[in-house]
Amino acid sequence: MKRIWTLASKDFLETRRDRLALLFTVVMPLAFTAFFGLMFGGGSDRLPLAISSADHGAPATQLVSALARSGVVKTEMMTKDDAEKAVDDNKVAAALEIPAGFSAALAAGRPAELTLVSTAGSSGAQTVQTEVSALAGPLAAGERAAQAAVAVAGTPPGGDSGASAQDLKDAALLMARPLAAQSLAQPVATVRVVEAGTAAGQIPNGFVLSSPGMLVNFILFSLLTAGIALIQERRNFTLQRLMTTRVRRWELIAGKAVGMFALTFVQQIILIGAGQLLFGVDYLRDPAALLLMMVALSLFASTLGLLLAAVLSSEQAMIATTVIVSMSVAALSGAWFPLEITGPAFQFVGHLLPTAWILDGLRGIIVRGFGVADVLPAFGVALAWSAALFALAVWRFRLSD
Amino acid sequence: MSIVEVQELCKQYDPPKGVLAVDGVSFHIDKGEIFSLLGPNGAGKSTTISMLSCLLRPSGGDALVDGHSVVTDSQAVKEAIGVVPQDIALYPDMSARENLLFWGKMYGLAGAELHARVDEVLELITLVDRQKDRVEKFSGGMKRRVNIGVALLHKPRVLYLDEPTVGIDPQSRRSILDGILALRDQGMTILYTTHYMAEAQELSDRIGIVDHGKMIAVGTNEELVRSVGEEAHVELSVDHYLEGMVERWADVPGVTKAMIDEERAVLLVQDANEVLPRLFEAAAAAGSRITEVNVTEPNLEMVFLHLTGRALRE
Amino acid sequence: MGWAEGAPHNDPAVSRILAIAWKDLRSTMRNVPALAMMLVAPLALAALLGFAFGGGQSFSISATKVAVANADTGTAGVAENAGNVVVGVMKSPDLRDIITVGDKPSAAAARTSVDDGKSTTAVIIPADLSAAIFATSPTAPMAVVELYENPTQEIGGAITESIVGQALLGFNGARAAALAASGLATANGDGERAGKLAQQAAETYMRDGGAAAAVSVAQRAPRLPGGESTKDVGVTGTILAGMMIFFMFFGANNVARTIIDEDRAGTLPRLFTTPTSRHTILGGKYSSVFVTVTVQAVILLVAGRLIFSIDWGRLDAVAALTLVAAAVASGLALLVISLVRTPAQAGAIGAGVYLVLALVGGNFTGTAAAGGTYAQIQKLTPNGWLLQGWDAVMRGGGLADIGLNLLVPLLFAVAFFAVAALRFRKRYA
Repeated sequence: MKRIWTLASKDFLETRRDRLALLFTVVMPLAFTAFFGLMFGGGSDRLPLAISSADHGAPATQLVSALARSGVVKTEMMTKDDAEKAVDDNKVAAALEIPAGFSAALAAGRPAELTLVSTAGSSGAQTVQTEVSALAGPLAAGERAAQAAVAVAGTPPGGDSGASAQDLKDAALLMARPLAAQSLAQPVATVRVVEAGTAAGQIPNGFVLSSPGMLVNFILFSLLTAGIALIQERRNFTLQRLMTTRVRRWELIAGKAVGMFALTFVQQIILIGAGQLLFGVDYLRDPAALLLMMVALSLFASTLGLLLAAVLSSEQAMIATTVIVSMSVAALSGAWFPLEITGPAFQFVGHLLPTAWILDGLRGIIVRGFGVADVLPAFGVALAWSAALFALAVWRFRLSD
Repeated sequence: MSIVEVQELCKQYDPPKGVLAVDGVSFHIDKGEIFSLLGPNGAGKSTTISMLSCLLRPSGGDALVDGHSVVTDSQAVKEAIGVVPQDIALYPDMSARENLLFWGKMYGLAGAELHARVDEVLELITLVDRQKDRVEKFSGGMKRRVNIGVALLHKPRVLYLDEPTVGIDPQSRRSILDGILALRDQGMTILYTTHYMAEAQELSDRIGIVDHGKMIAVGTNEELVRSVGEEAHVELSVDHYLEGMVERWADVPGVTKAMIDEERAVLLVQDANEVLPRLFEAAAAAGSRITEVNVTEPNLEMVFLHLTGRALRE
Repeated sequence: MGWAEGAPHNDPAVSRILAIAWKDLRSTMRNVPALAMMLVAPLALAALLGFAFGGGQSFSISATKVAVANADTGTAGVAENAGNVVVGVMKSPDLRDIITVGDKPSAAAARTSVDDGKSTTAVIIPADLSAAIFATSPTAPMAVVELYENPTQEIGGAITESIVGQALLGFNGARAAALAASGLATANGDGERAGKLAQQAAETYMRDGGAAAAVSVAQRAPRLPGGESTKDVGVTGTILAGMMIFFMFFGANNVARTIIDEDRAGTLPRLFTTPTSRHTILGGKYSSVFVTVTVQAVILLVAGRLIFSIDWGRLDAVAALTLVAAAVASGLALLVISLVRTPAQAGAIGAGVYLVLALVGGNFTGTAAAGGTYAQIQKLTPNGWLLQGWDAVMRGGGLADIGLNLLVPLLFAVAFFAVAALRFRKRYA
């Protein structure tokens, strides 16, 4: 057992002295966390929205002023062409086109259509669309309600004023609209959102999504350094030489695995510490559950790294495989984007991997106050995977090329 | 008529304080001869060849190859020479033929001429059958042959060979040495470096002995041996009292030099037959018992020993 | 025949440069790990991410699982139960792909379903919903429908909230119509019929479909200046363009690295002993890098067309973007290699530089950041400009639309290359 520790601590020390490894294990993941965190709504900037309106009716004007008051978008009026150009140049998240006849359609009870111009796949545009729909809905409801009221209650007695029927109807609408709007402003039925477990957890923000994601991504990435070191040792025959000493084969392999485990575990401590202190991601809600997830992640990463190093023989193959494997596993597990936005097949495949379970566990700890019992299934999945990977690695492990 | 003319060539790495790897070396090579630079590792042979190949700029002096200066007209020099580097410098993932075709293009050959020349070289290095195999699958000897073949593609006026036989089996070494002699017989001028005394002795028309960056002797094998006075080389082992014996033997008439080398006495003597009985007498008088005697007639090894006081080790 | 005749040397430098480029290209084609990195990785990741986002023209999201506990007891005098209406809207066939609704006997059971991870959201309808909605008094008490959602699944929660909100807006709108009608009636001196008219207005409102689908928001990609039509860009195309440029950096790095490798293996010094000049040899190595990544890009573009049916756009614009991208990747890789000494450094520092650049430039995020500050930061990188160019060309743009998207990266490439060439000259000349 002591020999395993000796081997492991040698590997660990070697990596610690490697400045390049520091770049990959600590600096890059923090940079990525910051970037993705800001992208997924960590920042509070309002999204720029260009508006071009060809309609001058009351509903159109109301929509524009409602959007101007919105806390989600920052509006700017411009011509249709300029708006398209602004989208094309990525200067605005989207451009809203209010077509001529928008108000008329609402008044006539026909469906009214707005057009939102945006680059495909823009997440900002999705948010803008939600906001426009949310503001246009009550607006339309108010207009419709006013129309219905006028249709039923009729117009005020015209008498002798000589006003036309249309004028009278317009006057009635002018009266009905504020009444309807007032009523809608004090709805009798509303929705209240209660977030499960937030009493015990943290309100999610961009960093809550990106910090555990990048943790998993870069723990997998650091297999690169450890794997290459192992391949180099096989190349320069130090592994064979070690076997001429009293070290047994399984001790050697275990030593390598423990070294990788220690490396990734320390990396996790640093990244989680930075997440907690720099990005305000509350990992430490349940230290025992967190520890379990960290052990699970390091187990999976170290046994996977061991297997890759056992199977691959050149540095270049190791670099290529690690980049492909770690990026794919990270993407499939929801490290880059929440699995929630993906299709059912993708989610199913993702949850065949322990990293998807670990990410669910980590996010659960942070947001929902998960305890040890809640993360045990994730730990079990990771343990099963690690056992299988370790067995494969021991079976395929070669001491020389 | 000399085709290579080396004049006071110097190379100092990282001047002004750096090592003087080559220190005022001068020699010439006649057309059609094999000239060997013989010396221990680190003597400055490779640095000299690098300067003659225009890879390194001399810190001082100059060399004319085929009448062109390596300092001022390196392009013309490069066209005249073929260089076989000490290590295998080939593309392992390409076949022998692909390697030769590529290097041929780098030597300015093209088209039908290139292919014809590649065929000739493959014939010469006896790799016609294996020409389509990747070089990485070749044995050490085969790689060496391709390594040499590359330098022959453009029919150079002078061929440089930098220790081409290091680390290969005796059979491959033999075939390479035979190949070099065959090239010489066809009129090729060859500059050869080695630290194997026997190779230099067998191959060379003339030999330059270098040590610590200096040319310490130049001449034919015979000239060099004669220069040290045709002395024989006697190695003696004794059961005890070695140092005292060497001192006594040094005073024996006919012994010109006596020293200790690895638990043995090494003596240079003018006539071994005459001196040997006296050496035994001296040992007997001192109470020492001679356990082993080895007599070598004069050779380059002894020339080096004579000039430097050190053995030329392999 | 003799071997010491000397040969004529009149092959032009260009053909020697091409010989070096061809040799390196062939070498790369025989290098399985390099090919995996250059071709398999981008295609596999594009396939994977395309698969994640439905691969087609839009996002496809799996249906949100919703647990519903309806405690609405109805109200006296009204046949309709508002809670049932809300549940009915949620269960309507139109929404089947978006939410899957499961009934729960109690609020507690619905919440447990979320806590256990069996549902994303629980909709808890209070007992007094109908009572509040059908109350005739203008100051009716407010009924609150509770949405109990898993905060790690924000999108499912938002979808449910929008559907329930829309359903409730129908009631609130009807009520607004009723109150407005009642107000109008009073103003018209028709006060005694106010209650009846209010009832009728609400019914009229509901019959006309309420606010449902009154306003629809259609989404489309921007038209290019002068262009009449536009086409939507598939998700996979955007992703593959990003991955392609990212892995071109690695492809270029692989070849540029052979300068160091050849230096160590002795073939570079040996090349310097041939009559081929050092400029020609280094020029050949630079060309190798450029040719290899160009071939890589062409293979990826064709594969994208064949495997994913991506419409890359007009050929001239695609060709220009490809060549400029190859120039950027080559220049950058050569710069990285000119700054390092060992192959190990080349691999690690290269990977770091390329990852950061891809991150800042948006290779992994596609057009998701359009409009934000990040979209402007992307333009600090050559790849950011290129990606924007690809987006425009995939939407149907031509050379005229991507002038800056070609020029800026090209300037980057020239700058990278100039520094690299200076450093190599210093090292090898």
